[in-house]
Amino acid sequence: MMAPMQLGFARVRRLPLVLFVILYTVVTGGPLLWVATMSLRTTAEIFKDPYGLPSPAHWEKFADAWTKSNYGTYFWNSTIVVVIAVVLVTAIGAMAAHCLARYSFRGNRLVRFLILTGLVLPPQLVILALFQILLDINLYNTLAGLILVYVATHIAMTVYILEGFFAQIPQDLFDAARMDGYSDFEIFWRVTMPIGAPAIFTTVTLNFIVLWNEFLFAVVLLTDDDKRTLPLGLMHFTGSHQLDVGMAATGLMIAMLPIIAIYAFFSETMIKGMTAGAVR
Amino acid sequence: MSSSGWLSRFARRNLAGPEIDARRAGLGILVIFLAPALLVYAGFTLYPVVRTFYNAFHTIKPHGVVEFVGFSNFTALLLTDPVFWKAVANTAMFTIVATIVDVVGGLLLALCLFARAPLAPLLRVVWFTPVLMSYVVVGIIWVWIYDYDWGLANAVLRWVGLGAFEQSWLGHPSTALWSVLVAHEWKWLGFNMIVFLAALHALPSEVLGAAELDNCGWFAKLVYIIAPMLRTTIVNLLVLSFIGKMMVFDLIWVMTGGGPLWSTETVSTYVYKRAFEWNTFDLGYPSAIAVLWFIIILAFIAIMTRLLRQRDRLEF
Repeated sequence: MMAPMQLGFARVRRLPLVLFVILYTVVTGGPLLWVATMSLRTTAEIFKDPYGLPSPAHWEKFADAWTKSNYGTYFWNSTIVVVIAVVLVTAIGAMAAHCLARYSFRGNRLVRFLILTGLVLPPQLVILALFQILLDINLYNTLAGLILVYVATHIAMTVYILEGFFAQIPQDLFDAARMDGYSDFEIFWRVTMPIGAPAIFTTVTLNFIVLWNEFLFAVVLLTDDDKRTLPLGLMHFTGSHQLDVGMAATGLMIAMLPIIAIYAFFSETMIKGMTAGAVR
Repeated sequence: MSSSGWLSRFARRNLAGPEIDARRAGLGILVIFLAPALLVYAGFTLYPVVRTFYNAFHTIKPHGVVEFVGFSNFTALLLTDPVFWKAVANTAMFTIVATIVDVVGGLLLALCLFARAPLAPLLRVVWFTPVLMSYVVVGIIWVWIYDYDWGLANAVLRWVGLGAFEQSWLGHPSTALWSVLVAHEWKWLGFNMIVFLAALHALPSEVLGAAELDNCGWFAKLVYIIAPMLRTTIVNLLVLSFIGKMMVFDLIWVMTGGGPLWSTETVSTYVYKRAFEWNTFDLGYPSAIAVLWFIIILAFIAIMTRLLRQRDRLEF
């Protein structure tokens, strides 16, 4: 086989490589496909033959899960919490990042340092106190409280990514905008935001995925069933209906499908978003 | 006179230049831009941190009963709490093994794709999929995979003729932690793979080409050329993995809840249990655990970055 020389791997034997690649693909994709088949089969069918194909396909299970098993509620709770939290954290994060990247003022470095310490704070260090605080201000067991916590705990990463990008926008653009009489807010809205759009897209993707999947804060701060987000709902359902594997699989698909659907169209953006904090 | 005053003022303003002008902003503007982020962040992240440190030195019971206890939470957990030490041992095992697997496995997967495996661009996307799934989803899937009766793990063992090894993977204290670890790696390997792949593509191709001309075998090339050139990426991923593993909670909580017999209890699950499940009704003690663990993590990060950086200086 003639692998191009500069790749430097001509000597890797192709057959073991190909076999390993196939094996790993089966290991990653297999379980997901398995759940997909189970989501269309009844529990009785699954226990008879766990690895059979869904024939006939019980599409009505999705409707049942949505209405009878409360997944509709969980789905909307997740959607409300995640959409509002992402919009808020993006807006206030972008404003702060713009301010830190653009203006020189006393305390700039202190503010930046304070916000970026959030990158190393483990959730366990704040979760117990947040529980107390939300109780104090009557936001415990409310979606609003959870949204506030999500915004607060994701500002650090958002500002970190956005500030890094905003700081690279040439100062000349801002000087020109100022000469043209743009106000400070117009500069933010009509210069930084359009040019910074790729970075904003990255943080939106990252925050969306992370918050859609978030579990620890939600499990501590929400108790009512009709307020549960999807991860909590899934956990609750599998805990209380341990034997109803079929319906649980349908629930898993409901939680996974939005992510997979977006991933199918925007895989590069999502990969870039998820690894934005690690790739420098 | 007045005209020259006007002129000099005009000149001065121009000299001061639009550059400084555009970098300046009145206090009002700064407050409008920064206040929302700072207020939310201060109220719901910084203040909770301070309050956790405060809690750690108190006994916090329901209905506002707060009692100062000094360092007694810390001495109790260090000297007389076997569950804490079990959790520390489990977390340490999990962290060390998972961090190494993360970095080594991620690099090997990246090399597979870098060596032009067929369909590499597609596989890159497929292998990354588990990274996007929540721990709850991953945990439930793997609980099913490990199911004794109908799970994939035992089915595969039976299928390849190793039926003697089939067991209740999560039900046995000796296998539970490692089974959770496999599920964890299934989710995260793709992440490390992507980061390494990006770093590999940024390497200068001349160096690899030169090694090729020198008849350098692929393993020698990996150890002597690629790994040293990827040092920064490796260090970053080591630190990142380390932090993540030291905090591991979701997956354990979903898959085993810390059992059986504390065999998968980690520091994070223990914090949660002491705060919300045990009927000690005291938030002070778990806060002390969280504070202590945070300090330990920070210390290790400092040591890791310093050690790895110093070797850098010695080599070059």
